[in-house]
Amino acid sequence: MLTIRDLYKTYPNGVRALSDVSLDVPNGMFGLLGPNGAGKSTLMRTIATLQDPDSGSIKLGDIDVLTDKVAVRRVLGYLPQEFGVYPKVSAEAMLDHLAVLKGVTQRGERRELVGALLHQVNLYEVRKRKLGGFSGGMRQRFGIAQALIGDPKLVIVDEPTAGLDPEERQRFLNLLAEIGERVVVILSTHIVEDVSELCPRMAIIAEGQVRLAGEPRETIRSLEGRVWRRVIDKASIANYRAHMTVLSTRLAGGATLIHVLAEGRPEEGFEPIAPDLEDVYFGQLQRATGARAT
Amino acid sequence: MFREIYRFELRQQLRSPLFWMIACLCAVLAFAATASHSVRIGGDIGNIHRNAPFVVILTLSLFSIIGLFLIPIFVAGAALRDFGGNTAELIFATPLTRGAYLGGRFAAGWVTSVLVLLGVAIGLWIGSLMPWIDPARLGPTPWAAYAWALGVIVIPNLFFLGALLLLLATLTRSMLSTYVGVIGFFVLRLVAALALGRGNIAHQTGAALADPFGLGALHLATRYWTAADQNSRIPPLTGLLMENRLLWLAFGIALFAASVALFKPDREGVRWFRRRATSNISTGKMLAVPLSVPRVSLRTGFGPRLVQFSKLVGFDSAGVFGSTAFLVMLAFGLLNLTGSLMFSGQAFGTPVYPVTHLMAQAISGSYQWLLWIILGFYAGELVWRERSARVNEVMDAFPSPDWLPLMSKITSLVAVIVVFLLAGSLYCMGYQLLHGFHHLEPLLYLKFLGLNLLDFAWFAILAVVLQTMASNKFAGYALILVYIVGMIALTQLHLADNLYLPGSAPAAPYSDMDGFGPFWIGTLWFRAYWYCLDVALLVVAALFWMRGNPSGWRERMKVAAQRFRAPSMAILTVALAAFVLIGAFLFHNTHELYRYQSHDERLRRAANYEKHYRRYMGLAQPRIMDVKVSVAMFPAQRRVDVRGRYTLVNKHGHPIDQLLVQLPVPDTREFKVDLAFPSHMAEITDPKQGFYLYRLAEPLAPGASMALRFHEQVAYPGFANEPAGEQIVPNGTFFGNWVFPHFCYDVSRQLTDNNQRRRYGLGPAQVMPKRSDLAARANTYISCDADWVHFSATLSTSAGQIAVASGHLQREWMQGGRRYFHYVLNAPTLDFFSFQSARYRVAREAWHNVSLEVYYTGRRAYGVARTLASMKDALAYDTKHFGPYQFRQLRVVEFPGYKSYAQTFPNTIPYSHRFMLEDLRKPSDIDYITYVTAHETSHEWWAHQAIGANVRGATMLSESLAQYSAMMVMKHLYGPLAMRKFLKYQLDQYLAGRAGERVKEEPLARVYENQDYIDYDKGAVILYALQDYIGENKVDAALRAWLDQVRFQSPPYTDSRDLIADLRAEAGPKYQTLITDFFDRITLFDDRMESATARKLPDGQYRVTMHVYAEEYDANGTGKETRTPLDIPIEIGVFAKAGNGKEQDEKPLYLAKYPVREGHSAISVIVSGVPYQAGIDPFNELIDRVSSGHRALVSIH
Repeated sequence: MLTIRDLYKTYPNGVRALSDVSLDVPNGMFGLLGPNGAGKSTLMRTIATLQDPDSGSIKLGDIDVLTDKVAVRRVLGYLPQEFGVYPKVSAEAMLDHLAVLKGVTQRGERRELVGALLHQVNLYEVRKRKLGGFSGGMRQRFGIAQALIGDPKLVIVDEPTAGLDPEERQRFLNLLAEIGERVVVILSTHIVEDVSELCPRMAIIAEGQVRLAGEPRETIRSLEGRVWRRVIDKASIANYRAHMTVLSTRLAGGATLIHVLAEGRPEEGFEPIAPDLEDVYFGQLQRATGARAT
Repeated sequence: MFREIYRFELRQQLRSPLFWMIACLCAVLAFAATASHSVRIGGDIGNIHRNAPFVVILTLSLFSIIGLFLIPIFVAGAALRDFGGNTAELIFATPLTRGAYLGGRFAAGWVTSVLVLLGVAIGLWIGSLMPWIDPARLGPTPWAAYAWALGVIVIPNLFFLGALLLLLATLTRSMLSTYVGVIGFFVLRLVAALALGRGNIAHQTGAALADPFGLGALHLATRYWTAADQNSRIPPLTGLLMENRLLWLAFGIALFAASVALFKPDREGVRWFRRRATSNISTGKMLAVPLSVPRVSLRTGFGPRLVQFSKLVGFDSAGVFGSTAFLVMLAFGLLNLTGSLMFSGQAFGTPVYPVTHLMAQAISGSYQWLLWIILGFYAGELVWRERSARVNEVMDAFPSPDWLPLMSKITSLVAVIVVFLLAGSLYCMGYQLLHGFHHLEPLLYLKFLGLNLLDFAWFAILAVVLQTMASNKFAGYALILVYIVGMIALTQLHLADNLYLPGSAPAAPYSDMDGFGPFWIGTLWFRAYWYCLDVALLVVAALFWMRGNPSGWRERMKVAAQRFRAPSMAILTVALAAFVLIGAFLFHNTHELYRYQSHDERLRRAANYEKHYRRYMGLAQPRIMDVKVSVAMFPAQRRVDVRGRYTLVNKHGHPIDQLLVQLPVPDTREFKVDLAFPSHMAEITDPKQGFYLYRLAEPLAPGASMALRFHEQVAYPGFANEPAGEQIVPNGTFFGNWVFPHFCYDVSRQLTDNNQRRRYGLGPAQVMPKRSDLAARANTYISCDADWVHFSATLSTSAGQIAVASGHLQREWMQGGRRYFHYVLNAPTLDFFSFQSARYRVAREAWHNVSLEVYYTGRRAYGVARTLASMKDALAYDTKHFGPYQFRQLRVVEFPGYKSYAQTFPNTIPYSHRFMLEDLRKPSDIDYITYVTAHETSHEWWAHQAIGANVRGATMLSESLAQYSAMMVMKHLYGPLAMRKFLKYQLDQYLAGRAGERVKEEPLARVYENQDYIDYDKGAVILYALQDYIGENKVDAALRAWLDQVRFQSPPYTDSRDLIADLRAEAGPKYQTLITDFFDRITLFDDRMESATARKLPDGQYRVTMHVYAEEYDANGTGKETRTPLDIPIEIGVFAKAGNGKEQDEKPLYLAKYPVREGHSAISVIVSGVPYQAGIDPFNELIDRVSSGHRALVSIH
């Protein structure tokens, strides 16, 4: 159980990255959903002991994350958003190197671990190849392999699915889900499906604040009967935006589809639909911008 | 398209911090070249302005060679950028012509390189504006020279190099190959320059054309330039220089065209051989396999940390050693080392045996700057390695301690140092073996390696600390640069206290005799001191080691405060405490056991000495008649105890009631002198200056004598700020009687530099008195309180050593476990004695009734046989021509090679061990040992029989004459033709010396003290020419006649007028102007052989027509020259080719002093053999403004 309380962080350039963030993250997959620049990465890095907040507290079980960093690091697996590699080093050598640094200093143990991890992420075949030649997906897989070194109790993956093809993404998420059966996994993403498909719990974060936290199903239920859909003329989007709370617009088969949040049918032509997590997400973002506008 | 590519690329280049780093470094170096005395690049010596047009041009031209290392980065880097960055497909999918693409990239890289050189020019210029430069050494800013150098030399050179490397880069597509090409080019050029330019004038034109940098042609165009020319002229862009520039410009264009033609914008590039097709490995997808990862334990504790540490070091080191840049830098280091090795220890072009300490010194010398730059570079690379690769976030979230990466980076840097030093050592061993020197000393290499490692590693740690503290790599580089420049600035300002100069330590001079002697102890203590600081800084660096993404300094401070716990506190406290404690110990040694004086304090003390005590100069004093000393030497303790007894006599016509005692003021404070003499009262007691004045209770009557006993104790304990007491060391003690009390004002302590004198309120330098000064002629030039004295000495030293003093050995015995020697000089001698002690071996021979001895050390008797032979030759020549040798023994006694000189005392010649290392295996090299030994031996006549009064021209009577005797010995040994090489060196040294004169150049007959370039170098050339013009027997006879008049004379002493009068008498009327030119004026000739042709005559002989140029100049003391009529005949020679091709073996077909006309003229002679070379003054006998250009090949029609 990860407990985050009253976290504040303002960067020297004045950007307020975290503001009064409190969250409870139980075992299992936890989705952290938010647009780019919402403060997700700041939060992730703070939990991963790479950054200190201005104030607040984070506890992982009994461990005070902010002061006892070493203890956290011993149980942490972290795949940062910006994960680079040494281009001239082979996958196996790099993983071995990382395993040593993490503390797997016993040679036999390490060899077995590295082999197993590479198998797990299906990079065993290419283990001798230089990381510089890896595709984005291969790199991400390598990244998750290193995050699994040493049986982590807390796994943090920051925007891991960006740039993966659908099939690869699916399998990556499956792997995460499997990991999430045993330990805390925090998955930060701006892709709603990532969360809706496999996270029992989630939070939406925007402009440094937690907009909403809970189980995806419950949050969806809160919107039941309030989301409306209509095919509209592309030119009138601005008009709708001005008068209604537009959750999303998208092209579907050449037509423009609009989702609107409203207590009753906003106007003729709108039909009620069953809300999904995306509507929740966009709803929260709307409120955030709306709050800023007032 | 070209413009877009060009502008884009240029912007890229100018944004690159590497560009700024390189530009700053080069600019700083150029700045130092004009602003400091210690960095010299363009030959700004003596009367040549620091910013003379010629100096500017030469400096910029030499810097353009740096282009070799810039171009790969800027041009080749630009050409390869798209292939490395995987943007090739993107770029080549656009409708871009190869020419525009390559041209744009090339032009931008070229312009970037030019900008770096522009920075050099700016550095030079700013350097010349610095306030501390003597305005007399500056001319007006030579804007035209800057423009000329950039336009004619720099920009075309960079163009050619750029084109060459562009071709290499496009052909090979690899940075490594490009660098290899650079090195290949560099080596080839070096070899070509050596092969073509080796003194063989026949190849000069070819060599000048073949040099792509144009330096050879520049040299040919400017070699006759005087200081005034160099200060004002710009080389004309004509002839060879023009041809050279056009040739290489055209070649550059051709290379560029070839690059465009051969450039292939596809993935493969130019294919040299068929590569095996590599099968595309399936990248695979993630399989939906169940999670099964074996359980492992994350370990902590010492063992696992050690594993982590060594793995990390291995990983970091591999990153460094695997990089092309490292190999290139190592190769460059070794190349630089080669240059140092070739010139290490050379004298007169004669090599010395490549003994290990010379090799090791060459390593530290040639690495110094280079390795600092390399370490600074890699410190940045390593500290920021994880961040650059963006793997830092992963590793930073690992449970590894903060110090782990920090220590790993440092260890990798240390590995870099070790690799450099080891490679250098192995390379030097190879060099030794290659030169047939098989006495390898790996252990000694290791010692030097250790000392150097300590030096460089300290800097490496500092560099890592600075990089760690900096908020980005380039801020770190800037900090490192600040440290380096700061250190240069501080040493420039003469702030030399090692206690306050971070990272500095006393030198540890090495000698073959005494190893590191006692000096390494101080070095190591200072290292320990500064390493304590390094450790403290490291702790701070570990506190601030960046982990994760701290947002600014406030957060870093917060994190550091969090990390500052018991272990850090403990280490920091211990390190700082040790720093302070060791500092106190160092202070005790360097400031309490020794007298530390800053540069300014030293100058002020000298100025005060003159201000307070010069009034006592010439005070009537009793003179030393008899010297009896007992000298106890304790080499291991570095202690000497002297008990002496002087007999002083009043030689004046009036009573003497004041006694002036001058004692030495050594740096050590363990120095004590007790004096005992008839009752007296102290009037002046100044221990700081060693100056004492006593009033005698009972004046010393004329003719009466008194005894003065002294007990002098001196020891060199501990260590000083810089090596002190090199004269008293465990093996190789050597000091003279100048450490005894003396009875006169010491003129040699006065400041001589007029700028310094001005600063301390003193008038212009007081040079030696004129020859007409009869009062001054009461003294010889080496003593102010004695004429000819009796001397006896009892020496004692440790049991394993031999102690040697001037005098005949009377007795040798053991007493109390110490070895005693008794030396006596029966005949009166100068008051000038040496004392030496070491574990000597002795080689003995006899020459007639004189026993010859060489005292040497070490297993090898390198130059001993040669020395003995030369002693004999000199004794034979001098005895035969000038009269008998006054002693029964003559000995040469080695002292450690801390200094390179030899000095003649009565029957004893202390001789630097360095001279014994001369490698004379090659017969064509100048026999330096014979030269030095014969010179010193002849001093037993020229100084110890006849010595000049303390007036101008005195040293001509000893040094120039000793040179003469030595040259005659060499001439008879090797033949007159072999003398040219020696004379040429002498002439070059004279010309360089006069260019560096700070006060005023004098003619030979009026030479001052310390004008070695006149009495040694010019004296040699003049006297050699004299004997060639008037005949050796006449010179010998004149010298003999003079010596017979002045041998052991009483005051007033002789001066150069007496000798010149005898020379004039012998030479006869024909040579009177020549003697005036040679001795009484500063005469310079400007002779050159412009061309020579020959035609075969019907009778088989050849008519050789020589076009010569000859002028004679009179120079004044500051070097201003005026033309005077050419009034002496000049030697003209025609030579046949030698069988072995060596110039010195060419047989003269015609050789005569010829009444050459002034200016251009033609001379025709008929010779009976096939002429090969023709020369005017072909043996460099005359003082010529330029020592080369006297011979030309004869072309036969």
